[in-house]
Amino acid sequence: MISVQHLVKRYGWKVAVDDLSFEVDKGEVVGFLGPNGAGKSTTLRVIAGFLGATSGTVKVAGHDIAKESFEARQKLGYMPEAVPLYPEMRVVEYLSFRAELKRVPRGDRKRAVWDAMGKANVRDVANVVIGHLSKGYRQRVGLADALVGSPPLLVLDEPTAGLDPNQIREVREVIQELGKEHTVLLSTHILSEVEASCSRVVVIAGGKLVAEGSMDEIAKKRRSAGLHMVVRGNLDAALAALRGIEGITKATRDHAARTDGEDVFAVRCSWSKKLDEAAAARATEAAIGALVGAGLFVREASPVKSSLEELFGELTGARAEDASGEAEPDDAEAAS
Amino acid sequence: MRSFWPIYKRELFAFFVTPLAWVLITVFLLVQGMHFFLLVDHFSTAGQQISDQTPLQAFFGNTVLLYLVLFLLVPPMTMRLFAEERRSGTIESLMTAPVSSLGVVLAKYAAVLTTYVAMWAPTVLYLVILRQTGDIDWNVAASAYLGVLLVGGGYLSIGMLMSAITKSQFLALVLTAMLILALFILGVGEFVTRDGTVMHDICSHVSVWAHMNDFASGVVDSRRLVFYGSLIVLPFFVTVRAVDAWRWG
Repeated sequence: MISVQHLVKRYGWKVAVDDLSFEVDKGEVVGFLGPNGAGKSTTLRVIAGFLGATSGTVKVAGHDIAKESFEARQKLGYMPEAVPLYPEMRVVEYLSFRAELKRVPRGDRKRAVWDAMGKANVRDVANVVIGHLSKGYRQRVGLADALVGSPPLLVLDEPTAGLDPNQIREVREVIQELGKEHTVLLSTHILSEVEASCSRVVVIAGGKLVAEGSMDEIAKKRRSAGLHMVVRGNLDAALAALRGIEGITKATRDHAARTDGEDVFAVRCSWSKKLDEAAAARATEAAIGALVGAGLFVREASPVKSSLEELFGELTGARAEDASGEAEPDDAEAAS
Repeated sequence: MRSFWPIYKRELFAFFVTPLAWVLITVFLLVQGMHFFLLVDHFSTAGQQISDQTPLQAFFGNTVLLYLVLFLLVPPMTMRLFAEERRSGTIESLMTAPVSSLGVVLAKYAAVLTTYVAMWAPTVLYLVILRQTGDIDWNVAASAYLGVLLVGGGYLSIGMLMSAITKSQFLALVLTAMLILALFILGVGEFVTRDGTVMHDICSHVSVWAHMNDFASGVVDSRRLVFYGSLIVLPFFVTVRAVDAWRWG
Protein backbone atom coordinates (compact mmCIF):
# COMPACT_ATOMS: atom_id res chain seq x y z
CA MET A 1 0.00 0.00 0.00
CA ILE A 2 2.87 2.32 0.85
CA SER A 3 6.34 1.77 -0.51
CA VAL A 4 9.11 4.09 0.61
CA GLN A 5 12.44 3.55 -1.17
CA HIS A 6 15.67 5.32 -0.18
CA LEU A 7 13.81 8.43 0.90
CA VAL A 8 16.01 11.43 1.67
CA LYS A 9 14.66 14.79 2.76
CA ARG A 10 16.91 17.74 3.46
CA TYR A 11 15.94 21.15 4.78
CA GLY A 12 18.81 23.29 3.59
CA TRP A 13 21.84 21.59 5.18
CA LYS A 14 19.87 19.70 7.79
CA VAL A 15 19.09 16.11 6.89
CA ALA A 16 15.68 15.23 8.32
CA VAL A 17 15.24 11.82 6.69
CA ASP A 18 18.29 9.85 5.62
CA ASP A 19 17.92 6.93 3.18
CA LEU A 20 14.77 5.50 4.71
CA SER A 21 13.07 2.46 3.15
CA PHE A 22 10.05 0.55 4.40
CA GLU A 23 6.80 -0.95 3.19
CA VAL A 24 3.26 -1.05 4.49
CA ASP A 25 1.11 -3.87 3.15
CA LYS A 26 -2.61 -3.82 2.58
CA GLY A 27 -4.68 -4.37 5.73
CA GLU A 28 -1.84 -3.67 8.16
CA VAL A 29 -1.87 -1.23 11.05
CA VAL A 30 1.69 -0.03 11.24
CA GLY A 31 3.14 2.09 14.03
CA PHE A 32 5.77 4.58 13.03
CA LEU A 33 7.82 5.08 16.12
CA GLY A 34 10.62 7.42 17.02
CA PRO A 35 11.61 10.14 19.47
CA ASN A 36 10.63 13.75 18.80
CA GLY A 37 12.66 15.17 15.93
CA ALA A 38 13.44 11.75 14.44
CA GLY A 39 11.87 12.67 11.11
CA LYS A 40 8.48 11.01 11.59
CA SER A 41 6.35 13.97 10.62
CA THR A 42 8.61 14.81 7.69
CA THR A 43 8.30 11.26 6.36
CA LEU A 44 4.53 11.28 6.73
CA ARG A 45 4.30 14.66 5.04
CA VAL A 46 6.24 13.33 2.08
CA ILE A 47 3.95 10.29 1.91
CA ALA A 48 0.89 12.56 2.07
CA GLY A 49 2.27 14.69 -0.76
CA PHE A 50 2.68 17.88 1.26
CA LEU A 51 6.47 17.92 0.99
CA GLY A 52 8.63 16.88 -1.92
CA ALA A 53 11.37 14.31 -1.40
CA THR A 54 14.97 15.41 -1.95
CA SER A 55 15.61 11.98 -3.45
CA GLY A 56 14.10 8.52 -3.36
CA THR A 57 10.64 7.35 -4.35
CA VAL A 58 7.39 7.05 -2.44
CA LYS A 59 4.50 5.07 -3.85
CA VAL A 60 0.99 5.12 -2.47
CA ALA A 61 -1.31 2.36 -3.74
CA GLY A 62 1.03 1.91 -6.71
CA HIS A 63 1.06 5.61 -7.64
CA ASP A 64 4.31 7.55 -7.43
CA ILE A 65 3.56 10.52 -5.18
CA ALA A 66 5.73 12.81 -7.32
CA LYS A 67 4.51 11.73 -10.76
CA GLU A 68 0.91 10.73 -10.12
CA SER A 69 0.25 13.00 -7.20
CA PHE A 70 -3.51 13.34 -7.76
CA GLU A 71 -4.18 9.61 -7.90
CA ALA A 72 -2.00 9.01 -4.86
CA ARG A 73 -3.63 11.77 -2.82
CA GLN A 74 -7.09 10.45 -3.64
CA LYS A 75 -6.20 7.05 -2.16
CA LEU A 76 -5.01 8.54 1.08
CA GLY A 77 -6.60 10.16 4.13
CA TYR A 78 -4.08 12.23 6.06
CA MET A 79 -4.36 13.68 9.52
CA PRO A 80 -1.58 16.23 10.17
CA GLU A 81 0.10 16.42 13.56
CA ALA A 82 -1.47 19.68 14.75
CA VAL A 83 -4.93 18.68 13.42
CA PRO A 84 -5.43 21.97 11.61
CA LEU A 85 -9.12 22.82 11.15
CA TYR A 86 -10.98 25.97 10.15
CA PRO A 87 -12.27 27.26 13.49
CA GLU A 88 -15.09 29.33 12.00
CA MET A 89 -16.88 26.38 10.37
CA ARG A 90 -19.34 23.92 11.84
CA VAL A 91 -18.20 20.30 11.92
CA VAL A 92 -20.66 19.15 9.29
CA GLU A 93 -19.88 22.14 7.05
CA TYR A 94 -16.18 21.47 7.32
CA LEU A 95 -16.51 17.79 6.53
CA SER A 96 -18.80 18.54 3.56
CA PHE A 97 -16.18 20.96 2.28
CA ARG A 98 -13.51 18.30 2.66
CA ALA A 99 -15.70 15.72 0.92
CA GLU A 100 -16.18 18.04 -2.04
CA LEU A 101 -12.45 18.78 -2.11
CA LYS A 102 -11.71 15.05 -2.12
CA ARG A 103 -14.04 14.64 -5.09
CA VAL A 104 -16.69 12.56 -3.44
CA PRO A 105 -19.55 12.66 -6.00
CA ARG A 106 -22.31 15.12 -5.10
CA GLY A 107 -24.93 12.42 -4.49
CA ASP A 108 -22.72 10.47 -2.07
CA ARG A 109 -21.40 13.43 -0.13
CA LYS A 110 -23.98 13.56 2.65
CA ARG A 111 -23.67 9.84 3.23
CA ALA A 112 -19.83 10.02 3.20
CA VAL A 113 -19.84 12.80 5.80
CA TRP A 114 -22.38 10.97 7.96
CA ASP A 115 -20.36 7.73 7.81
CA ALA A 116 -17.11 9.48 8.66
CA MET A 117 -18.75 11.25 11.61
CA GLY A 118 -20.09 7.90 12.78
CA LYS A 119 -16.73 6.14 12.59
CA ALA A 120 -14.91 8.97 14.35
CA ASN A 121 -17.72 9.31 16.87
CA VAL A 122 -18.45 13.01 16.38
CA ARG A 123 -22.09 12.91 15.28
CA ASP A 124 -23.19 14.57 18.52
CA VAL A 125 -21.21 17.73 17.68
CA ALA A 126 -22.13 17.88 13.98
CA ASN A 127 -23.56 21.38 14.28
CA VAL A 128 -21.03 22.83 16.70
CA VAL A 129 -18.57 25.47 15.48
CA ILE A 130 -15.12 23.83 15.41
CA GLY A 131 -13.52 26.69 17.36
CA HIS A 132 -15.71 25.81 20.35
CA LEU A 133 -14.77 22.12 20.47
CA SER A 134 -12.52 20.54 23.08
CA LYS A 135 -9.14 19.14 22.09
CA GLY A 136 -10.42 15.57 22.14
CA TYR A 137 -13.30 16.37 19.81
CA ARG A 138 -11.06 18.36 17.48
CA GLN A 139 -8.75 15.38 17.25
CA ARG A 140 -11.67 13.17 16.29
CA VAL A 141 -12.95 15.70 13.78
CA GLY A 142 -9.47 15.55 12.24
CA LEU A 143 -9.86 11.79 12.13
CA ALA A 144 -13.27 12.14 10.48
CA ASP A 145 -11.64 14.48 7.96
CA ALA A 146 -9.09 11.79 7.06
CA LEU A 147 -11.92 9.25 6.79
CA VAL A 148 -14.24 11.22 4.51
CA GLY A 149 -14.66 9.38 1.25
CA SER A 150 -13.33 6.23 2.90
CA PRO A 151 -9.80 6.20 1.40
CA PRO A 152 -8.15 2.74 1.52
CA LEU A 153 -5.11 4.20 3.30
CA LEU A 154 -4.98 6.34 6.43
CA VAL A 155 -1.88 8.23 7.50
CA LEU A 156 -2.24 9.63 11.02
CA ASP A 157 0.45 11.83 12.55
CA GLU A 158 0.39 11.44 16.35
CA PRO A 159 -3.36 10.92 16.61
CA THR A 160 -3.33 10.90 20.41
CA ALA A 161 -0.93 13.80 21.06
CA GLY A 162 -2.10 16.12 23.81
CA LEU A 163 -5.09 14.07 24.89
CA ASP A 164 -6.00 12.95 28.40
CA PRO A 165 -5.94 9.19 29.18
CA ASN A 166 -9.67 8.72 28.58
CA GLN A 167 -9.52 10.46 25.24
CA ILE A 168 -6.43 8.45 24.29
CA ARG A 169 -8.37 5.27 24.97
CA GLU A 170 -11.28 6.48 22.87
CA VAL A 171 -9.08 7.39 19.92
CA ARG A 172 -7.27 4.05 20.20
CA GLU A 173 -10.54 2.20 20.09
CA VAL A 174 -11.54 4.15 16.99
CA ILE A 175 -8.20 3.33 15.33
CA GLN A 176 -8.52 -0.36 16.16
CA GLU A 177 -11.96 -0.34 14.58
CA LEU A 178 -10.57 1.43 11.50
CA GLY A 179 -7.83 -1.17 11.15
CA LYS A 180 -10.44 -3.69 10.10
CA GLU A 181 -11.30 -1.80 6.91
CA HIS A 182 -8.34 0.46 6.19
CA THR A 183 -4.61 0.21 5.98
CA VAL A 184 -3.26 2.51 8.68
CA LEU A 185 0.13 4.11 9.21
CA LEU A 186 0.25 6.06 12.46
CA SER A 187 3.17 7.82 14.04
CA THR A 188 3.79 8.17 17.73
CA HIS A 189 6.56 8.54 20.25
CA ILE A 190 4.67 6.53 22.84
CA LEU A 191 5.46 2.84 22.86
CA SER A 192 2.35 1.61 24.63
CA GLU A 193 0.37 3.23 21.88
CA VAL A 194 1.95 0.89 19.36
CA GLU A 195 1.47 -2.13 21.62
CA ALA A 196 -2.21 -1.31 21.90
CA SER A 197 -3.10 -0.81 18.29
CA CYS A 198 -0.43 -1.89 15.80
CA SER A 199 0.34 -5.19 14.10
CA ARG A 200 3.77 -4.04 13.03
CA VAL A 201 6.18 -1.30 13.95
CA VAL A 202 8.80 0.75 12.12
CA VAL A 203 11.26 2.49 14.42
CA ILE A 204 13.35 5.41 13.22
CA ALA A 205 15.86 7.70 14.90
CA GLY A 206 17.87 10.51 13.42
CA GLY A 207 16.09 10.01 10.11
CA LYS A 208 17.28 6.41 9.80
CA LEU A 209 15.55 3.08 10.18
CA VAL A 210 16.68 1.33 13.39
CA ALA A 211 14.21 -1.54 13.74
CA GLU A 212 11.26 -3.03 11.94
CA GLY A 213 8.97 -5.95 12.59
CA SER A 214 6.03 -7.22 14.60
CA MET A 215 5.71 -6.19 18.22
CA ASP A 216 6.87 -9.68 19.30
CA GLU A 217 9.97 -9.52 17.13
CA ILE A 218 10.86 -6.16 18.57
CA ALA A 219 10.23 -7.41 22.11
CA LYS A 220 12.72 -10.23 21.52
CA LYS A 221 15.44 -7.66 21.16
CA ARG A 222 15.04 -6.83 24.81
CA ARG A 223 18.17 -8.03 26.58
CA SER A 224 18.44 -9.06 30.18
CA ALA A 225 19.39 -6.01 32.19
CA GLY A 226 20.19 -7.66 35.50
CA LEU A 227 19.33 -10.24 38.11
CA HIS A 228 16.76 -10.30 40.85
CA MET A 229 17.52 -12.60 43.81
CA VAL A 230 15.99 -13.42 47.15
CA VAL A 231 18.63 -14.38 49.66
CA ARG A 232 18.68 -15.47 53.31
CA GLY A 233 21.64 -14.52 55.46
CA ASN A 234 23.78 -11.46 56.03
CA LEU A 235 23.04 -8.53 53.69
CA ASP A 236 26.48 -6.92 53.74
CA ALA A 237 28.22 -10.22 53.06
CA ALA A 238 25.91 -10.87 50.13
CA LEU A 239 26.48 -7.43 48.56
CA ALA A 240 30.25 -7.72 49.04
CA ALA A 241 30.28 -11.16 47.37
CA LEU A 242 28.23 -9.90 44.41
CA ARG A 243 30.27 -6.77 43.80
CA GLY A 244 33.36 -8.79 43.11
CA ILE A 245 31.84 -10.54 40.08
CA GLU A 246 32.80 -9.53 36.57
CA GLY A 247 29.94 -7.96 34.64
CA ILE A 248 28.04 -6.67 37.63
CA THR A 249 28.20 -2.91 37.93
CA LYS A 250 25.79 -2.44 40.77
CA ALA A 251 24.34 -4.62 43.52
CA THR A 252 21.80 -3.12 45.89
CA ARG A 253 19.07 -4.23 48.24
CA ASP A 254 15.71 -4.13 46.54
CA HIS A 255 13.53 -2.46 49.15
CA ALA A 256 10.48 -2.60 46.94
CA ALA A 257 10.31 -6.40 46.92
CA ARG A 258 8.44 -7.81 49.91
CA THR A 259 10.16 -10.57 51.82
CA ASP A 260 9.23 -12.56 54.90
CA GLY A 261 11.54 -13.04 57.85
CA GLU A 262 14.19 -10.71 59.19
CA ASP A 263 17.23 -12.17 57.52
CA VAL A 264 15.55 -12.61 54.16
CA PHE A 265 16.04 -9.83 51.64
CA ALA A 266 15.89 -9.14 47.91
CA VAL A 267 18.92 -8.04 45.92
CA ARG A 268 19.05 -6.46 42.52
CA CYS A 269 22.16 -6.66 40.33
CA SER A 270 22.69 -4.66 37.14
CA TRP A 271 24.78 -5.95 34.26
CA SER A 272 27.26 -3.71 32.59
CA LYS A 273 25.99 -2.49 29.20
CA LYS A 274 28.44 -4.56 27.15
CA LEU A 275 27.22 -7.91 28.47
CA ASP A 276 25.61 -10.16 25.83
CA GLU A 277 23.16 -12.99 26.56
CA ALA A 278 25.81 -15.70 27.04
CA ALA A 279 27.96 -13.54 29.30
CA ALA A 280 24.88 -12.60 31.32
CA ALA A 281 24.09 -16.27 31.82
CA ARG A 282 27.67 -16.91 33.03
CA ALA A 283 27.48 -13.93 35.36
CA THR A 284 24.22 -15.34 36.78
CA GLU A 285 25.96 -18.65 37.52
CA ALA A 286 28.89 -16.84 39.09
CA ALA A 287 26.60 -14.71 41.27
CA ILE A 288 24.72 -17.69 42.65
CA GLY A 289 28.00 -19.53 43.19
CA ALA A 290 29.52 -16.58 45.05
CA LEU A 291 26.53 -16.26 47.38
CA VAL A 292 26.48 -19.96 48.17
CA GLY A 293 30.26 -19.84 48.64
CA ALA A 294 29.84 -17.00 51.15
CA GLY A 295 27.51 -19.18 53.22
CA LEU A 296 24.26 -17.59 52.16
CA PHE A 297 21.08 -19.29 50.94
CA VAL A 298 19.64 -18.34 47.56
CA ARG A 299 15.87 -18.73 47.46
CA GLU A 300 15.09 -17.14 44.10
CA ALA A 301 17.00 -15.91 41.04
CA SER A 302 15.27 -14.41 38.03
CA PRO A 303 16.52 -12.32 35.12
CA VAL A 304 15.30 -8.75 34.88
CA LYS A 305 14.36 -7.91 31.29
CA SER A 306 14.64 -4.33 30.16
CA SER A 307 11.24 -2.76 29.61
CA LEU A 308 10.03 -1.90 26.14
CA GLU A 309 10.62 1.73 27.00
CA GLU A 310 14.25 0.95 27.82
CA LEU A 311 14.56 -1.03 24.60
CA PHE A 312 13.15 1.93 22.71
CA GLY A 313 15.69 4.17 24.39
CA GLU A 314 18.49 1.77 23.48
CA LEU A 315 17.38 1.49 19.86
CA THR A 316 16.97 5.18 19.28
CA GLY A 317 19.75 6.37 21.58
CA ALA A 318 22.31 3.95 20.14
CA ARG A 319 21.68 5.44 16.75
CA ALA A 320 22.63 8.89 17.95
CA GLU A 321 25.90 7.51 19.39
CA ASP A 322 26.65 5.83 16.05
CA ALA A 323 26.12 9.10 14.27
CA SER A 324 28.54 10.97 16.51
CA GLY A 325 31.03 8.13 16.20
CA GLU A 326 30.89 8.33 12.44
CA ALA A 327 31.44 12.04 12.45
CA GLU A 328 34.86 11.86 14.08
CA PRO A 329 36.86 10.06 11.36
CA ASP A 330 35.43 12.51 8.85
CA ASP A 331 36.77 15.41 10.88
CA ALA A 332 40.15 13.71 11.14
CA GLU A 333 40.28 13.26 7.37
CA ALA A 334 39.41 16.85 6.84
CA ALA A 335 42.19 17.93 9.19
CA SER A 336 44.83 15.80 7.47
CA MET B 1 -9.75 22.59 -11.59
CA ARG B 2 -12.53 20.71 -9.82
CA SER B 3 -11.11 21.95 -6.58
CA PHE B 4 -12.10 25.50 -7.61
CA TRP B 5 -15.69 25.54 -6.37
CA PRO B 6 -15.31 24.17 -2.86
CA ILE B 7 -12.36 26.46 -2.11
CA TYR B 8 -14.07 29.46 -3.72
CA LYS B 9 -17.20 28.91 -1.61
CA ARG B 10 -15.21 28.36 1.56
CA GLU B 11 -13.15 31.52 1.03
CA LEU B 12 -16.29 33.62 0.64
CA PHE B 13 -17.78 31.96 3.70
CA ALA B 14 -14.62 32.49 5.74
CA PHE B 15 -14.50 36.17 4.79
CA PHE B 16 -18.13 37.01 5.42
CA VAL B 17 -18.33 35.06 8.67
CA THR B 18 -15.76 37.35 10.29
CA PRO B 19 -16.63 40.78 11.70
CA LEU B 20 -13.71 42.21 9.71
CA ALA B 21 -15.65 41.80 6.46
CA TRP B 22 -18.67 43.70 7.72
CA VAL B 23 -16.54 46.42 9.25
CA LEU B 24 -14.70 46.85 5.96
CA ILE B 25 -17.89 46.95 3.92
CA THR B 26 -19.57 49.38 6.30
CA VAL B 27 -16.61 51.74 6.38
CA PHE B 28 -16.24 51.47 2.62
CA LEU B 29 -19.87 52.35 1.94
CA LEU B 30 -19.85 55.13 4.54
CA VAL B 31 -16.78 56.75 2.99
CA GLN B 32 -18.15 56.34 -0.53
CA GLY B 33 -21.52 57.74 0.53
CA MET B 34 -19.85 60.79 2.09
CA HIS B 35 -17.67 61.16 -0.97
CA PHE B 36 -20.71 61.08 -3.22
CA PHE B 37 -22.67 63.48 -1.05
CA LEU B 38 -19.86 66.04 -0.94
CA LEU B 39 -19.39 65.84 -4.71
CA VAL B 40 -23.07 66.30 -5.48
CA ASP B 41 -23.24 69.15 -3.00
CA HIS B 42 -20.16 70.74 -4.58
CA PHE B 43 -21.51 70.41 -8.12
CA SER B 44 -24.94 71.74 -7.23
CA THR B 45 -23.51 74.91 -5.67
CA ALA B 46 -20.49 75.54 -7.88
CA GLY B 47 -21.56 73.81 -11.06
CA GLN B 48 -20.96 76.80 -13.32
CA GLN B 49 -17.22 77.12 -12.81
CA ILE B 50 -16.31 73.51 -13.44
CA SER B 51 -18.36 72.73 -16.47
CA ASP B 52 -15.72 70.44 -17.98
CA GLN B 53 -16.37 67.85 -15.30
CA THR B 54 -19.26 65.70 -14.18
CA PRO B 55 -19.93 64.22 -10.75
CA LEU B 56 -19.35 60.79 -12.25
CA GLN B 57 -15.85 61.73 -13.39
CA ALA B 58 -15.05 63.26 -10.05
CA PHE B 59 -16.32 60.22 -8.22
CA PHE B 60 -13.93 57.83 -10.00
CA GLY B 61 -11.06 60.14 -10.85
CA ASN B 62 -9.46 63.47 -10.05
CA THR B 63 -9.73 63.03 -6.29
CA VAL B 64 -7.43 61.19 -3.95
CA LEU B 65 -10.36 59.57 -2.18
CA LEU B 66 -10.63 56.57 -4.49
CA TYR B 67 -7.00 55.56 -3.87
CA LEU B 68 -7.29 56.21 -0.18
CA VAL B 69 -10.22 53.82 -0.04
CA LEU B 70 -8.39 51.15 -2.05
CA PHE B 71 -5.27 51.65 0.04
CA LEU B 72 -7.25 51.00 3.22
CA LEU B 73 -9.50 48.31 1.78
CA VAL B 74 -7.30 45.93 -0.21
CA PRO B 75 -4.58 44.96 2.32
CA PRO B 76 -7.00 43.71 5.01
CA MET B 77 -8.96 41.82 2.35
CA THR B 78 -5.99 39.86 1.04
CA MET B 79 -3.83 39.51 4.15
CA ARG B 80 -5.38 36.29 5.40
CA LEU B 81 -5.63 34.45 2.06
CA PHE B 82 -2.52 32.30 2.50
CA ALA B 83 -0.80 33.68 5.59
CA GLU B 84 -3.60 32.53 7.87
CA GLU B 85 -3.65 29.02 6.40
CA ARG B 86 0.10 28.70 6.76
CA ARG B 87 0.14 30.00 10.32
CA SER B 88 -2.65 27.72 11.50
CA GLY B 89 -1.38 24.77 9.44
CA THR B 90 -4.64 24.24 7.54
CA ILE B 91 -2.60 24.62 4.37
CA GLU B 92 -1.33 21.11 5.11
CA SER B 93 -4.76 19.49 4.93
CA LEU B 94 -5.68 21.71 1.99
CA MET B 95 -2.67 20.78 -0.14
CA THR B 96 -2.80 17.07 0.71
CA ALA B 97 -6.30 16.85 -0.75
CA PRO B 98 -6.34 16.16 -4.49
CA VAL B 99 -6.06 19.82 -5.53
CA SER B 100 -3.73 21.71 -7.87
CA SER B 101 -1.77 24.81 -6.87
CA LEU B 102 -3.31 26.70 -9.78
CA GLY B 103 -6.82 25.70 -8.69
CA VAL B 104 -6.19 26.84 -5.12
CA VAL B 105 -4.72 30.21 -6.13
CA LEU B 106 -7.42 30.81 -8.73
CA ALA B 107 -10.20 30.00 -6.27
CA LYS B 108 -8.77 32.30 -3.61
CA TYR B 109 -8.24 35.13 -6.07
CA ALA B 110 -11.71 34.74 -7.55
CA ALA B 111 -13.24 34.80 -4.07
CA VAL B 112 -11.49 38.00 -3.03
CA LEU B 113 -12.30 39.62 -6.39
CA THR B 114 -15.95 38.66 -5.97
CA THR B 115 -15.95 40.28 -2.55
CA TYR B 116 -14.41 43.40 -4.04
CA VAL B 117 -17.07 43.58 -6.76
CA ALA B 118 -19.79 42.99 -4.18
CA MET B 119 -18.48 45.95 -2.18
CA TRP B 120 -18.66 48.24 -5.18
CA ALA B 121 -22.04 46.99 -6.35
CA PRO B 122 -24.13 49.26 -4.07
CA THR B 123 -22.42 52.33 -5.54
CA VAL B 124 -24.38 51.75 -8.77
CA LEU B 125 -27.24 53.24 -6.77
CA TYR B 126 -25.47 56.62 -6.93
CA LEU B 127 -25.75 56.52 -10.68
CA VAL B 128 -29.44 55.81 -10.37
CA ILE B 129 -29.73 58.81 -8.04
CA LEU B 130 -27.83 61.05 -10.46
CA ARG B 131 -30.14 59.83 -13.21
CA GLN B 132 -33.02 61.58 -11.39
CA THR B 133 -31.60 65.01 -12.10
CA GLY B 134 -29.60 64.63 -15.27
CA ASP B 135 -28.32 62.37 -17.98
CA ILE B 136 -25.77 59.67 -17.45
CA ASP B 137 -23.43 58.45 -20.16
CA TRP B 138 -23.57 54.75 -19.44
CA ASN B 139 -20.53 54.08 -21.60
CA VAL B 140 -18.49 56.37 -19.40
CA ALA B 141 -19.94 54.72 -16.31
CA ALA B 142 -19.00 51.29 -17.67
CA SER B 143 -15.50 52.48 -18.47
CA ALA B 144 -15.14 53.92 -14.95
CA TYR B 145 -16.23 50.65 -13.37
CA LEU B 146 -13.83 48.77 -15.65
CA GLY B 147 -11.09 51.02 -14.28
CA VAL B 148 -12.15 50.28 -10.71
CA LEU B 149 -12.14 46.56 -11.47
CA LEU B 150 -8.71 46.63 -13.12
CA VAL B 151 -6.98 48.77 -10.50
CA GLY B 152 -8.57 46.77 -7.67
CA GLY B 153 -7.78 43.50 -9.43
CA GLY B 154 -4.12 44.48 -9.70
CA TYR B 155 -3.93 45.53 -6.06
CA LEU B 156 -5.67 42.35 -4.91
CA SER B 157 -3.24 40.26 -6.92
CA ILE B 158 -0.29 42.02 -5.27
CA GLY B 159 -1.94 41.53 -1.88
CA MET B 160 -2.42 37.81 -2.52
CA LEU B 161 1.25 37.41 -3.42
CA MET B 162 2.30 39.22 -0.24
CA SER B 163 0.06 36.91 1.76
CA ALA B 164 1.69 33.91 0.10
CA ILE B 165 5.26 34.91 0.90
CA THR B 166 4.81 35.39 4.64
CA LYS B 167 3.18 33.51 7.50
CA SER B 168 2.27 36.72 9.28
CA GLN B 169 -0.98 38.40 8.32
CA PHE B 170 0.26 41.67 9.71
CA LEU B 171 3.41 41.58 7.59
CA ALA B 172 1.30 40.78 4.53
CA LEU B 173 -0.90 43.77 5.35
CA VAL B 174 2.04 46.14 5.73
CA LEU B 175 3.85 44.88 2.62
CA THR B 176 0.71 45.17 0.49
CA ALA B 177 -0.04 48.66 1.74
CA MET B 178 3.55 49.74 1.09
CA LEU B 179 3.55 48.37 -2.46
CA ILE B 180 0.23 50.01 -3.29
CA LEU B 181 1.50 53.28 -1.88
CA ALA B 182 4.81 52.94 -3.74
CA LEU B 183 2.99 52.37 -7.03
CA PHE B 184 0.85 55.43 -6.39
CA ILE B 185 3.79 57.63 -5.47
CA LEU B 186 5.72 56.45 -8.52
CA GLY B 187 2.73 57.53 -10.59
CA VAL B 188 2.68 60.94 -8.97
CA GLY B 189 6.24 61.30 -10.24
CA GLU B 190 4.63 62.13 -13.57
CA PHE B 191 3.90 65.60 -12.24
CA VAL B 192 7.29 66.31 -10.69
CA THR B 193 9.68 65.00 -13.37
CA ARG B 194 10.47 66.98 -16.48
CA ASP B 195 8.60 66.21 -19.67
CA GLY B 196 10.52 64.09 -22.15
CA THR B 197 12.79 62.30 -19.68
CA VAL B 198 12.73 58.50 -19.30
CA MET B 199 11.64 58.86 -15.69
CA HIS B 200 8.66 60.89 -16.77
CA ASP B 201 7.65 58.23 -19.29
CA ILE B 202 7.92 55.46 -16.73
CA CYS B 203 5.99 57.42 -14.13
CA SER B 204 3.20 58.33 -16.50
CA HIS B 205 2.97 54.73 -17.67
CA VAL B 206 2.36 53.41 -14.16
CA SER B 207 0.37 56.39 -12.90
CA VAL B 208 -2.80 54.98 -11.37
CA TRP B 209 -3.99 58.54 -10.93
CA ALA B 210 -3.80 59.32 -14.65
CA HIS B 211 -5.23 55.93 -15.59
CA MET B 212 -8.29 56.38 -13.43
CA ASN B 213 -8.83 59.88 -14.82
CA ASP B 214 -8.84 58.34 -18.29
CA PHE B 215 -11.21 55.54 -17.33
CA ALA B 216 -13.47 58.01 -15.53
CA SER B 217 -13.79 60.13 -18.65
CA GLY B 218 -14.59 57.10 -20.79
CA VAL B 219 -11.15 56.59 -22.35
CA VAL B 220 -10.24 52.90 -22.52
CA ASP B 221 -6.64 52.86 -23.68
CA SER B 222 -5.19 49.48 -24.73
CA ARG B 223 -1.89 50.36 -23.00
CA ARG B 224 -3.80 50.60 -19.73
CA LEU B 225 -5.45 47.26 -20.35
CA VAL B 226 -2.06 45.63 -20.94
CA PHE B 227 -0.60 47.33 -17.87
CA TYR B 228 -3.36 46.14 -15.54
CA GLY B 229 -3.48 42.76 -17.24
CA SER B 230 0.18 42.35 -16.28
CA LEU B 231 -0.41 43.77 -12.82
CA ILE B 232 -2.99 41.03 -12.25
CA VAL B 233 -1.36 38.10 -14.06
CA LEU B 234 2.23 38.54 -12.92
CA PRO B 235 1.72 38.41 -9.13
CA PHE B 236 -0.88 35.71 -9.73
CA PHE B 237 1.57 33.33 -11.33
CA VAL B 238 4.34 34.16 -8.90
CA THR B 239 1.83 33.16 -6.20
CA VAL B 240 1.24 29.83 -7.94
CA ARG B 241 5.00 29.27 -8.01
CA ALA B 242 5.28 30.28 -4.35
CA VAL B 243 2.62 27.73 -3.39
CA ASP B 244 4.54 25.06 -5.33
CA ALA B 245 7.75 26.13 -3.65
CA TRP B 246 6.47 25.39 -0.11
CA ARG B 247 6.79 21.71 -0.89
CA TRP B 248 10.55 22.19 -0.97
CA GLY B 249 10.78 24.34 2.16
